[in-house]
Order: sequence, then C-alpha cells, then structure tokens
Amino acid sequence: MKKYLPYLLIPALAGLVAVLWQWHPGDPLRLAGKPRGGDFTLQSARGPVSLHDLRGRVALIYFGYTSCPDICPTNLAQIGAALKRLTPQERRNVAVLFVSVDPERDTPQKLARYTAFFDPAMIGLTGTPAQVAEVAHRYGASYRKVKSDSALGYLVDHSAFTYVVDGRGRLCETLPHAAPIDQILGAIRRCH
Amino acid sequence: MFPTRSLILTLAATLTCTQALADAAGDVQVTTPYARQVPPGAVASAAFMELNNRGHEDHALVAAASPAAEVVELHEHVMKDGMMQMRPVPRIGIPAGATTRLQPGGYHVMLIHLRQDLASGQTVPLTLTFEDGSKKAVEAPVRRIGAMTKKMH
Ligand SMILES: [Cu+2]
Repeated sequence: MKKYLPYLLIPALAGLVAVLWQWHPGDPLRLAGKPRGGDFTLQSARGPVSLHDLRGRVALIYFGYTSCPDICPTNLAQIGAALKRLTPQERRNVAVLFVSVDPERDTPQKLARYTAFFDPAMIGLTGTPAQVAEVAHRYGASYRKVKSDSALGYLVDHSAFTYVVDGRGRLCETLPHAAPIDQILGAIRRCH
Repeated sequence: MFPTRSLILTLAATLTCTQALADAAGDVQVTTPYARQVPPGAVASAAFMELNNRGHEDHALVAAASPAAEVVELHEHVMKDGMMQMRPVPRIGIPAGATTRLQPGGYHVMLIHLRQDLASGQTVPLTLTFEDGSKKAVEAPVRRIGAMTKKMH
C-alpha cells in the first residue's frame, strides 16, 4: 500500500490545487441546478423590462457579455437568422432577450448597440450583479469572473445555452451552443 | 576510409541543416483567413484561419499583431464545467505535415480594443510571428458570420 500511496496522493493534491485555482471567493459561481425559470425584471436602454410584459410571446433568453468576440455572436447570429425565417405573424410573437453576465462593464446602452446588430428587436438587459446572478441561477445559466493577463481585463466564463420560454412564461426548452437554425425554429414553434 | 566516412557524415549533416533552414514562415501556408464582423462599438473581435505546415519540422504560432487593434493576443476556447472558457495561450502548435485550425469556438487571434469598427468589405492586416522568429503577413477580410443551418463542430 505504501508503495502506491504517492500515486494516490499526487492526483488528490493536483485536484485540490485545481479546485483552489478555480475558486474565487465572492464571485457568482453557480453550477447549473434544476432550472425553474420564472418572471424577472431587468434594465434595458428603454427602461425596465419584465418577462411578464411579454406574455403571449415566446421568449428566447441568452446570457452572455459584449466583450465576447465569438461565442455570443455565434449564438445571437443563429437566433437572428432563425427569426428571419419566421412568418411576419410568427415573428411578432417572439422576443429575444440578451442578459449580460458582465453587469459591471455592460451598460444598457452598450447592450442596445450590441443586440441591434443581430436583430433590431433583440433586447439587451442588465441589472445589479446580484439581480443578474439571481435570474441566471433560476434559469440554470452559470458564469464566473476570471482574473486574467489578457488586455481585456477579467474574462467571463459562461454557459452558452438559449432558454426558450413559452407564452405563459414557463421555461419550455433549452437550446445548446450554436444550435442550428432548424433546431431554433423547431423550439420556437413547439413552445408557442 | 575514415576521412571519407567523416566527409559523408558532414555532408549528411549539412543536408539536414539545409532542410532545417526552412523557416516557419516558409513552411506554414495560411488559408481562408477572416476577421469576424462584430457589432459597432464592440471592444473585441477575433480572426480565424487555417495553418497548414507543409514542412518537416513542427512549428508554432506565438504572437500576432495588427494595426486594427491596440492589443492582439492568441486565445482558445475550452468547454469546461458546462461553461465556455476563453483563455490567452502562449503558443498554438502547428505539427509538421498537419493543419491547425483557428475557428469559432476554438483557437483564435483575439483583436482587443479595436481602433475602428470592422465593416464588411474591409481587410484586417495581420502579422503572424512563429516560434522560430520568422514572420508572415496575412490579410484577413472582415466577414459577417451567421446562418449555419448545420452543426459546425
Ligand atoms: Cu478571445
């Protein structure tokens, strides 16, 4: 047994180091629990927006941040392209919400410019760090601030799901990162 | 006999060295470079490309520069703990005879603090620096990415 002890200890220590390395006290580290969804109110450039204001419409909710050069644009471009495939009547019954998981840097104005690029009707939302954390937690979105040497400053790790909420405000489906347009369209139509 | 053998060895060594003199900039072919069009006012964008090492030695991309951004870094994306993690990387390996892809969701040249908005039709000049110190200039057209009907991974 003694002979094998180092082989057991080394991975255990490595694991402990890895855990400590990732652990940033005070940061909203939230690993996805069972998502409940539900109503919320956050700030847009045009004032507060509540999920219940959108009742009757399908809402696509994506959690991301505007310094994100690749993952968020991929998902928002996919959603934007899917919206173009809807009939005008279907289109009126869909809302897209981009919730910032970087509320310290993303102002409502910055979010409005960012979302307009993908679709003019997309709504950018933010709030206090605590408000955003609470909403993200309920939807099962996880994110965390990570210190880095990058010129960007801190980075934000984040899950890349799109939550589809039906016309009655219930969490209906969860789409993966870079979901194909047909999958997005299918979810919108099923959740209507 | 001995000097001849030595001569052959020297010759062989010289030949090997000549082979080794081929630098990364010569060995690595860059195909389909492009920079991602991002929303106006966005702080950062990413450039993608394929790096095809046609030489006999391993190479690595270690830095990039561009007049389009104040800072240029090499980054990768890793899906971990259910989260997309973007991290700076010191090098991107390009093994001999292999192709390394810089593509959405993976490695990218990160353009930080863009000096101006990247508009479709523009080109972003990039200078790639390889581990052996050689450099290569690349012109990356700005492309608006969207509309994938199929899964890209
Ligand atoms: Cu990056």
